[in-house]
Amino acid sequence: DFEASFIRLIDKVTNGSRIEINQTGTTLYYQPGLLYGGSLEHECSPSRGIGYYLESLLCLAPFMKHPLKIVLRGVTNDQVDPSVDVLKATALPLLKKFGVDGEGLEIKINRRGMPPKGGGEILFTCPVRKVLQPIQFTDPGKIKRIRGTAYSVRVSPQMANRMVESARSILNKFLPDIYIYTDHMKGVSSGKSPGFGMCLTAETINGTILSAELASNPQGQGEAVLPEELGQNCAKLLLEEIYRGGCVDSTNQSLALLLMTLGQRDVSKVLLGPLSPYTIEFLRHLRSFFQIMFKIETKTPEEEHVGGEKVLMTCVGIGFSNLSKTIR
Amino acid sequence: MEEKEKKKHRSKHSGPKAEKKRKRYLNELGIGDEENARKRNPKAFTVQSAVRMARTFHRTQDLKTKKHHIPVVDRTPLEPPPVVVVVVGPPKVGKSTLIKCLIKNFTRQKLVEIRGPVTIVSGKKRRLTVIECGCDINTMIDLAKVADLVLMLIDASFGFEMETFEFLNICQVHGFPKIMGVLTHLDTFKNNKQLKKTKKKLKHRFWTEVYPGAKLFYLSGMVHGEYQKQEIHNLGRFISVMKFRPLTWQTSHPYILADRMEELTNPEDVRINPKCDRKISLYGYVRGAHLKNKSQIHMPGVGDFTVSDVSFLPDPCALPEQQKKRSLNEKEKLVYAPFSGVGGIVYDKDAVYIDLGGSHAHEKVVEVRPNHELVQSLISTHSAIDVKMASSKVSLFMDSRPLGSEDVGQEFVMPKEEREMDSKSGRVRRKAVFEEEKENDDAVSDEEDDEEEGEAMSENGSDGDDEDEGEEESDRELLGEEMALGRVKRLKTEVAKEEAVSEVPAFADSDDDLEVSSEGEEGKAAPEESEMEEDEEEELEDEQNESSDSELEAAGKRAAESEQEEINSGDPEMRSGVSERGLKRKAMLTTDSGNCTAEEASESETENSSLAESDDEGSHDELQAQESDGKGSKHTQARKADSVNQSKHKAADDDVENLLRDEDEYEEQIGFSAETTGALKWKEDLTEKAAQAFLRQQRSTPHLRKLVYGTAAEDEDPESEDAGDELGGLFHVSRPDKASKQKANALDCSKFLVEKPQDWALEEVMSSIRDCFVTGKWEDDKDAAKLLEEDEELYGDFEDLETGVVHKGKPASEEDESGSEEEEEAGKTPKPEPEEEEEKKKERMDKKRKLKEMFDAEYDEGDATYFDDLKEEMHRQAQLNRAEFEDQDDETRVQYEGFRPGMYVRIEVENVPCEFVLNFDPHYPIILGGLGNSEGNVGYVQLRLKKHRWYKKILKTRDPLILSLGWRRFQTIPMFYIEDHNGRHRLLKYTPQHMHCGATFWGPITPQGTGFLAVQSVSGATPDFRIAATGVVLDLDKSITIVKKLKLTGFPFKIFKNTSFIKGMFNSQLEVAKFEGAAIRTVSGIRGQIKKALRAPAGAFRATFEDKLLMSDIVFVRTWYPVSIPTFYNPVTSLLKPAGEKDSWSGMKTTGQLRHEQGIKVKQNKDSLYKPIVREKRHFNKLHIPKALQKALPFKNKPKTVEKKGKTPRDQWRPAVIREPHEKKISALLSALSTVNNYKVRKAKMKHKEQLKEYLKVKQKEDEQKFKREKEAKKKIYRILGQREKKMQKSSLKGSSKGEKSW
Repeated sequence: DFEASFIRLIDKVTNGSRIEINQTGTTLYYQPGLLYGGSLEHECSPSRGIGYYLESLLCLAPFMKHPLKIVLRGVTNDQVDPSVDVLKATALPLLKKFGVDGEGLEIKINRRGMPPKGGGEILFTCPVRKVLQPIQFTDPGKIKRIRGTAYSVRVSPQMANRMVESARSILNKFLPDIYIYTDHMKGVSSGKSPGFGMCLTAETINGTILSAELASNPQGQGEAVLPEELGQNCAKLLLEEIYRGGCVDSTNQSLALLLMTLGQRDVSKVLLGPLSPYTIEFLRHLRSFFQIMFKIETKTPEEEHVGGEKVLMTCVGIGFSNLSKTIR
Repeated sequence: MEEKEKKKHRSKHSGPKAEKKRKRYLNELGIGDEENARKRNPKAFTVQSAVRMARTFHRTQDLKTKKHHIPVVDRTPLEPPPVVVVVVGPPKVGKSTLIKCLIKNFTRQKLVEIRGPVTIVSGKKRRLTVIECGCDINTMIDLAKVADLVLMLIDASFGFEMETFEFLNICQVHGFPKIMGVLTHLDTFKNNKQLKKTKKKLKHRFWTEVYPGAKLFYLSGMVHGEYQKQEIHNLGRFISVMKFRPLTWQTSHPYILADRMEELTNPEDVRINPKCDRKISLYGYVRGAHLKNKSQIHMPGVGDFTVSDVSFLPDPCALPEQQKKRSLNEKEKLVYAPFSGVGGIVYDKDAVYIDLGGSHAHEKVVEVRPNHELVQSLISTHSAIDVKMASSKVSLFMDSRPLGSEDVGQEFVMPKEEREMDSKSGRVRRKAVFEEEKENDDAVSDEEDDEEEGEAMSENGSDGDDEDEGEEESDRELLGEEMALGRVKRLKTEVAKEEAVSEVPAFADSDDDLEVSSEGEEGKAAPEESEMEEDEEEELEDEQNESSDSELEAAGKRAAESEQEEINSGDPEMRSGVSERGLKRKAMLTTDSGNCTAEEASESETENSSLAESDDEGSHDELQAQESDGKGSKHTQARKADSVNQSKHKAADDDVENLLRDEDEYEEQIGFSAETTGALKWKEDLTEKAAQAFLRQQRSTPHLRKLVYGTAAEDEDPESEDAGDELGGLFHVSRPDKASKQKANALDCSKFLVEKPQDWALEEVMSSIRDCFVTGKWEDDKDAAKLLEEDEELYGDFEDLETGVVHKGKPASEEDESGSEEEEEAGKTPKPEPEEEEEKKKERMDKKRKLKEMFDAEYDEGDATYFDDLKEEMHRQAQLNRAEFEDQDDETRVQYEGFRPGMYVRIEVENVPCEFVLNFDPHYPIILGGLGNSEGNVGYVQLRLKKHRWYKKILKTRDPLILSLGWRRFQTIPMFYIEDHNGRHRLLKYTPQHMHCGATFWGPITPQGTGFLAVQSVSGATPDFRIAATGVVLDLDKSITIVKKLKLTGFPFKIFKNTSFIKGMFNSQLEVAKFEGAAIRTVSGIRGQIKKALRAPAGAFRATFEDKLLMSDIVFVRTWYPVSIPTFYNPVTSLLKPAGEKDSWSGMKTTGQLRHEQGIKVKQNKDSLYKPIVREKRHFNKLHIPKALQKALPFKNKPKTVEKKGKTPRDQWRPAVIREPHEKKISALLSALSTVNNYKVRKAKMKHKEQLKEYLKVKQKEDEQKFKREKEAKKKIYRILGQREKKMQKSSLKGSSKGEKSW
């Protein structure tokens, strides 16, 4: 279901790709085309969050022929996928580090949609680049502030405040500079299902952004969650993320690694927290597709109180350049 | 009497006196003459004209910025590959002679025949690969793409030839390498002046082609068939200090100029089908970018291939070691040219000759590995084994990789055995990568041993021992068919590995052992030798012990395993196995053994016992065996007890890393065993405990790497080879598969879920991340407080300007100072004021210093332009690139970054057409050009193209054209177009004469900005310029938008006022519906619009026009019809042509050519032929006005019948006057007089005018002078007046002041 929607999305952003699925849906033939971009709209399946689609678009968008401007509709925040808020807060600064910046890079949440019915809408725009810059990103720096969003749709606006209160109660022990926005959507911009949740980001002085998020159980599934509890848990998740550390938060590890791989033929370095299983799988894919292996070094922090072990990933880019961009 | 007025004094206005006076006067006033002022104050005169100044400034800045290039990261490796020097020129210009002379100059060797590239060491840091380029356009194109330096030979006696210009143009398109002209045949000039003139002429023409000031060398003449030594020496010096510019294409793609080719096809296959696809290996230096294994390459002239394997070899032409000498010694002046037979072996069609006594003794002759087919044939001639045997042997050996002959030029000379080892070292770097996929899954692990043994035998064979060979043969036959290609390879790597570890002498001995062991197999085990072995073993063991324990265990296990498996087939083998396999091998074999145990459900005890047995039988090194046994058993037990029990392991061994690694291997093994036993526990374990185990798992780097890259990495990594795959020979399981299986059911999500969050309420947990926040503790160098402190120490006290608070740093020391001062001043009277002052002074000084520092910093920063910043950044990146993998050994480096440029590699390529091998000619360069991602694909490519101005014809759309783009040469069918003002791509039938146009073709995807050139044919020689067009790639796409104009015509069949019904334009209503609203026009220019389809007839429609149509009008609509591009892409396979015809490749012919050949004329449309225009004379009738009408018309309109004028009557004629002679005389005289008078008057007038002019001139002069004088006088007067007034004023001021006082 969501895979089919994903394939449709890929078909939309490309030109000349051929996709064949047999009747039983067990085999997929895919002949890649050319990334085309342009102004698009896509209806995402509500069984997965928009994050699922957006993640892959983030990987592809800098290499389109025309700058991508796409409207995605579906579930903006759910419990499974990284929510749009998190991607907006973490992935975009990461892209900027690779030289994909400028005014075109933006994720805008027009409407929020919670599972199971969705109804959210986002606008994602991304400029195109010919080559990516290599990065040296080995010092995460100290966390200077914590920001966040507590959102609630089709429930009492008080929920958001309650979440904020509880999250602050935990985080205040570490840092005074905490500001969590409450975002209560009303009317048409609130989607079709009720729900609430929050996402927190911790920003360091070097521009590293770590994030954590939690969302309430979708309506009619599981028992109701207390906003206080959710807030606290979310804060704890953020602390966990901070404990893991690294220069890229765990959700975006694979994105960072991919962009490093696709860089110029220079050495890129990035310090990560422990590799997530997804990232490990991703590394294997990178190897089979690009013949690229990362030099993986574990770094044990010398100091006592800066969290768990880190992994230093080093690679030489494959010298990828955007073949679809037109030159004049 | 009135007094007579005295004559006033008249001051002089001219003459020296006046001059002097004036000067004095001016000096008094302080206005010197101009020159003086310039001398006095030059600064005041620097700016003559601001505009001019601005212009000069502009110009200098322009020139400065013109020199800037976009800075690129310098990616050249520390040890760069040899510089490719291409010697190019028309035939008979002296190319080969020049190459020979150059080689002789650099290496003191004389080469008789040059074939293919010759690599020489030209200096401490530079090697050269010299290659000759014939005038075949294919060769020229290929070599222009790889050249770093082009030596362009020009026959001075003839002048420039077309080839030269063609080559220059090719170079321009594919990135301009350094080009150096060399003029030869200068001795043909007898006349010195003529020589000079020619030189100058050629030089200037050359400059216009290359760049003004390009170096042009003169080779004045030949001495004994060689160029003059001094000149060649100079040329060599030039070459060896030359700097090269990085070319975009070359630096972004890996490429190899192959200097050696060998065929690896199974001879049996060739026998069965002589036309079967071949497998070849090519050798050469990697150049350009990093080469990755399994990447796509293109061989110009052959086609696209995927690299099936790459391995790096020791450099055959290595740069000298670090030294402080200025020049190279004889030993280091190496030359390597396998095609020409230098550097060891001479190639012939079907045999290889070993050149034993090289011209230098130190030039180590290659000993060719027996498992090389070609060499095998050689050996067979030596040993006279019957043909079949030989062939079978060959087939066996073919499985393995050919070794050796890479170690050409190794410096040490040694006897046979060492040489073997040497050859082994050749193998050392061999890696088996990714070979497992192709491999037979059922290859039994015991094969390895056999093979190894076989290898040992083969070495024996190479020794020339016929008997051994025979044995080997039989062996082979026994083991026979099971052998899998990859296994052998891997095996060899292992061997090599081991060797790398063990010391040289030890290894040599072990080789001995090998031989012995092979003999022992026959039952001739010699006890003494085995003793010797033991010694060796011990040595080995010691080393291994030192290195690590795990290896020992591994060794033990290995031993055990081999024992188990080969228990029947003699132990010496096993022994040899142990001895041969080095520590790494052993390490990796742990898994194997483990698996075996699992499979056979044999206890570790059995292993032990078996090992013990083996020890007994083979009189093995007991110490080692036992040690390893112990450990092995421990491990196996541990394994069985608990698969993931790490604590136990820790208890068992303190070496955590080792354990972890082992554990990992265990996991794998268990995974495999699981399939046999059906226990899937490990999986559960993995999933369950993943979260907990994660951090621990990632503790050690190699472990993590293994975790990520799984067995695949291990395969690559010879240490861990054999670990995962083919356990028990039955199951081929690769780790990624497993992992994916494990993950298959999981949700595809990038989120990293926290399985077991820590309890953040606890204080210690909280404190674990305390320092991640700005509120936590900082490192010393970043801690603000500390920095502040340091600052204070540095700068002393400072004042916070905002708050006005004065911070005092180091009060104590100040006090001290003041105290000391006080002490000093104790004798004097204490003066607090000066002290304070001093303090203030100091403060001021401090402030100044700080300000200056700040300014300095700012200034230095500010001076750096954007360009400098960029450059700096690039430099930093380059440094990082170099430093990052420097400390790693080549083996691991290759995995991370690929084969870096400068490495000598061996590339295996499969499925090469047999013609390549059969028609191989080393004179033609073989280039392996690496392709980037998706550059192997085909698609539509858009170009900007311009016909070459020297090409005689214009190009036609849809005519096949041969393009050289990227690495490739291919024939394709381009369509030319031009972009209209509204962005429409309109098809052109022909290229414009002198203009750029667009072109689109179906062909290989190549990055935008790549240059290309087009030729119409690569075969034959035409006197004309061959390059038809040049251009650049603009865009790549999967669809195209070229359109051509299509006019649909129709005819009105019913006309109302402005509305008409039109038919004949379309065929159906649907078509009309599509064109509703389209603009239409008649030929006469009446515009209109399509409105709506009519019911009948089909395709008719209603249309409105701006005016009424005529029935005779033709109506048309202008439409654009998309053109499809023929998907024709045909690589030029010139290297596959038989020798001697390589320049005769011809692809698809143009229609014109075909017509010409077949004599077919174009069928012409009769209608479109031009006919002489026949205009029949028009005849108009006379205008006839009826009588009645005539009458009714007013007079002026009435036709007037004008009658002809009659003759004038006689009486109206006027007579002519006839003068009398007298009268005639008078009139003549009068006229003469009047003429004279006229002349006189005119003369007088002229004179008068002249005089007037003169007068006016004089007058003007006088006036001027007068005016001047007056002006002077006035000036004087006014000045005097002014002075007087000033004086007056002064006096008045004084007076007034006085007056004030007086007031």
